[in-house]
Amino acid sequence: MLGKPVLDATGETIGTIHDVAIATREVFPRVTSLAFVGPDKTPFMLSWRKYVASIDDDQVTLTVARPELRFSYLQPDEVLLSRDLLSKQIVDTQGMKVVRVNDLKLSESKNQLRLLGAEVGARGILRGLSPLLERAASAAATLVGRELSENLIAWNYMDLLDRDLSHVQLSVTHKRLHELHPADVADVLEQLSPAQRAAVFEHLDNTQAALTVAELEDELQADVIDDLGSQRASDILEMMDPDDAADIIGDLPYDKAEALLRLMGVQEASTVRSLLGYREKTAGGIMTPEVTTVTEEMTVEQVIEHIRSEATESETIYYIYVVDEERRLDGVISLRDLVVAQPGTLVSDIAERDVFTVNPDDDQEDVAETMSKYDLLAVPVVDETNKLLGIVTVDDALDVMEEESAEDLALATGSIREQGPIASLWWWFVRRSAWLLVWALAFLAVAMLRAQLDPIVAGTANARLGVGLVFMTLATALLPLLLKTAEEVSSRAVAELIEGSDTETRPSLGRRLLRESGIGIAMGLVGGFLAFIWVETLYGGAIAQAVQFAAVTSVSILATVLVGATLGEIALRRSAAGKRVSGSSLGITAMVVGALLYLTLAFWIGTLVGVAGVS
Amino acid sequence: VTTAGADTRRRTGLIALLAVIGPGIITASAGNDAGGISTYSVAGADFGYEMLWLIPIMTLALVVVQEMAVRMGAVTGKGFAALIRERFGIRPSFFAMLALVISNAATSVSEFAGIASAMEILGVSRYLAVPIAALAVWMLVVRGSYRRVEKILLGLSAVFIAYVISALLVGPDWAEVARATVLPTFEITSGFVVLSIAMVGTTIAPWMQFFVQSNVVDKGLTVRDLSLQRVDVISGTIAAGLIAWCIVLTTGTVLHGSGAGIATAADAAGALAPVAGRYATQLFAIGLLGASLLAACVLPLTASYAVCEAFGFERGIDRSWAEAPVFNGIYTFVIVFGAAFILIPGLNLISIMVFSQVIGGILLPFLLVFMMVIVNDRRIMGRHVNRRANNVIAWGTIVAVTALTLALVGMTVLGVS
Repeated sequence: MLGKPVLDATGETIGTIHDVAIATREVFPRVTSLAFVGPDKTPFMLSWRKYVASIDDDQVTLTVARPELRFSYLQPDEVLLSRDLLSKQIVDTQGMKVVRVNDLKLSESKNQLRLLGAEVGARGILRGLSPLLERAASAAATLVGRELSENLIAWNYMDLLDRDLSHVQLSVTHKRLHELHPADVADVLEQLSPAQRAAVFEHLDNTQAALTVAELEDELQADVIDDLGSQRASDILEMMDPDDAADIIGDLPYDKAEALLRLMGVQEASTVRSLLGYREKTAGGIMTPEVTTVTEEMTVEQVIEHIRSEATESETIYYIYVVDEERRLDGVISLRDLVVAQPGTLVSDIAERDVFTVNPDDDQEDVAETMSKYDLLAVPVVDETNKLLGIVTVDDALDVMEEESAEDLALATGSIREQGPIASLWWWFVRRSAWLLVWALAFLAVAMLRAQLDPIVAGTANARLGVGLVFMTLATALLPLLLKTAEEVSSRAVAELIEGSDTETRPSLGRRLLRESGIGIAMGLVGGFLAFIWVETLYGGAIAQAVQFAAVTSVSILATVLVGATLGEIALRRSAAGKRVSGSSLGITAMVVGALLYLTLAFWIGTLVGVAGVS
Repeated sequence: VTTAGADTRRRTGLIALLAVIGPGIITASAGNDAGGISTYSVAGADFGYEMLWLIPIMTLALVVVQEMAVRMGAVTGKGFAALIRERFGIRPSFFAMLALVISNAATSVSEFAGIASAMEILGVSRYLAVPIAALAVWMLVVRGSYRRVEKILLGLSAVFIAYVISALLVGPDWAEVARATVLPTFEITSGFVVLSIAMVGTTIAPWMQFFVQSNVVDKGLTVRDLSLQRVDVISGTIAAGLIAWCIVLTTGTVLHGSGAGIATAADAAGALAPVAGRYATQLFAIGLLGASLLAACVLPLTASYAVCEAFGFERGIDRSWAEAPVFNGIYTFVIVFGAAFILIPGLNLISIMVFSQVIGGILLPFLLVFMMVIVNDRRIMGRHVNRRANNVIAWGTIVAVTALTLALVGMTVLGVS
């Protein structure tokens, strides 16, 4: 539509359409103004309602002649479609995505234009390039039985990133980015650049900002806080749950962290500081110190009064913990117990004495498992004197479980990506073919070595070196045997890792090596036999050499199995110590070590034997 | 007290510089890739010192262009592709992206040519080396682990600092060199014009502007960091320019007189003989391999990011094929195209490397015009629009390269050789 001629009432062309403005207050906004450029390239604004007589495919006709036109200005609640919307990035507040507007769809009825929505799909791009192209693609799609669908976003589900809409009055149903649920805002923020993120944060009040930051991915949290001004950042951190705030502050550079802690309220800062003392991935690292506590001699009525006055501070009130004057844990009351009890009942009469507790150094995964096993909404963290330090709430436990299952998945599939069906197929393929890559690289290395050494060997007639090289080449050919064995051993170790077998039931390193060496000897014998046949029949070498080569092969395979088992053991220990372990790097290390061992051993034995006979 | 205060201030200054530094230096170093090395070597071998004067001028132009890209990124917080789309609309940005993808695919061909040359020096057939390298690059890109490898590769390509030492050791006629660096000389032959375009194309490669700007945006740098970013851009560009100058100088001294010319990468390595003696070819091969692999990882990603940014497709290396088909499709295409092209039997790798830079040089003015319009638009850049000196140099570059291209076309039509 842009670029169409504008004709006045006398039929004279006075310019071309430059832009149109819409009224922002409606769900399907009307076009309210027309901007056109005259011959001298200056843009003018006209009221659509007053001056536009008719619109069709070729032109816009006005109601009056050129001299009678009165120009207007862009109103604060008007948005220019071409300037502010077309080609710009917008937030789709329904699909929680950041998209680019490729085209705008307008509908016409009785000379009244309305904005139906923004086209953000490939179809809009094709139309923008050429309507012919769109028709061709649409026809092609129909031919293969598919439809080239439109991807429209209605005005009330858009939020503009580049133009600040905060001063513009919008229709009641209009959804703005900062009015979404904090988890959704966080989803969108993750798709934006740092500058755009900062702009969105300007519109969030501190409470919303605190909730949003808590929902962001861990890696982004510290970045976002780091980019905010110190005062604002400390205000936001104060509003967050202390355990979440401590996580973020722990990830910040030291200077910045100290500056923020100093700006925070004394009480909040000291809570966060005390939490910073605990190690990550333990009960202490994920607990919150804000707990509702009562003493034994209080009545149910007093307890409820106490909760009312304190509840806003606490993360959960479903459990109320009973402590003595030294804050040692004596029991627990559930909200349910309180509600059904008579107001005058003493706490000591209804408190459950047998409380499940965890220690601050306990692994977070164990804590989450305890909570899931006993269906707890929160579990208290106590020190060795049974003093109550804080609680781990169910939301933190869910995060832990998600994190740990993602880690297990990463271990099993060798990647930490989110995967669609095609991607996981690819990854399966890549992982399964790791041995192929190692094999190809080994061939490459041996080829390079021979390219360098063969002329020297030929020159000096050094038979020993020659046999070594031949042995090594033969070994390269048989390498897959060893590589598949290494893969097998390491995938067994990974399986054990995922099962997370307990330390008690796990065999010791010695027993494991013994068990694996049985498999190793069997595999080695088979490999040796194959190697023997291979050298004898194909190369017609002396029996002695065939036997030696077979021995090298057997020993290498056995050694690879043992190396794989030892690596698996190391991985298990690291995993037990709470460190991240990568399943595919375990396998690849075993393969590379085994391959190097096999090739060097073959070369070395070859030079040692040194009788030319095979070539 | 005062000394302590001064000390802290100086340290924060240094730390601030280290935090900002990077995009410019990395971009400029990655710019000295396979195509760059071979183009400079051929320039020296074929024309001696005659092209030396181009290098200071191109370095100045590169500083100006890169500074504009960095400024655009810092002021708007958006990538170059996004700005092109928002300022010009769908159709022009389609052509801009087409130009970028073509020049990136061509440059990617030259990177794989560099990998093949380096591996052939080390005794490995290109039919084995190139597919494996392509698979390795593809995996580095999809797993996003190339950032970790980036430093190793940068270190490997630092081998080319050997050219600086080599330049000192070959003992050129310094008076002659100084004269050639300052006084322009022309030859009206298509060989000279082609090589001039290739020199511009490899020094001010189109993808570098997209890359440096998106780096600035991703780091969240703002106008306040601008002065430090200028230091980064200028130092990186001058270092890259110095190496280019030394390559032309050494090849001009060592290879030009002999009349041998450069037919293979091993010939080009001859220029390092004063430093490395008989290990010169191996040293050259290792450097070439590092530089080529680095650029081969960066190029497909730059193209993918730019196209998806311009058209609003889902992007990011952590997106699967189902989520981001266009993004994954483009970088796979660029890698596969680059590798497959090299597997055509009977190609002369050196000419491929130089020719692909010519394509980059021809497409450069298109993209620079977009950049000039955006960087002078007050609605976008506010008070950070271009100064006059910037405009003069940048437009000068555009006009000069366009003129060279037209001259090349004219010569081809008229049959001047």
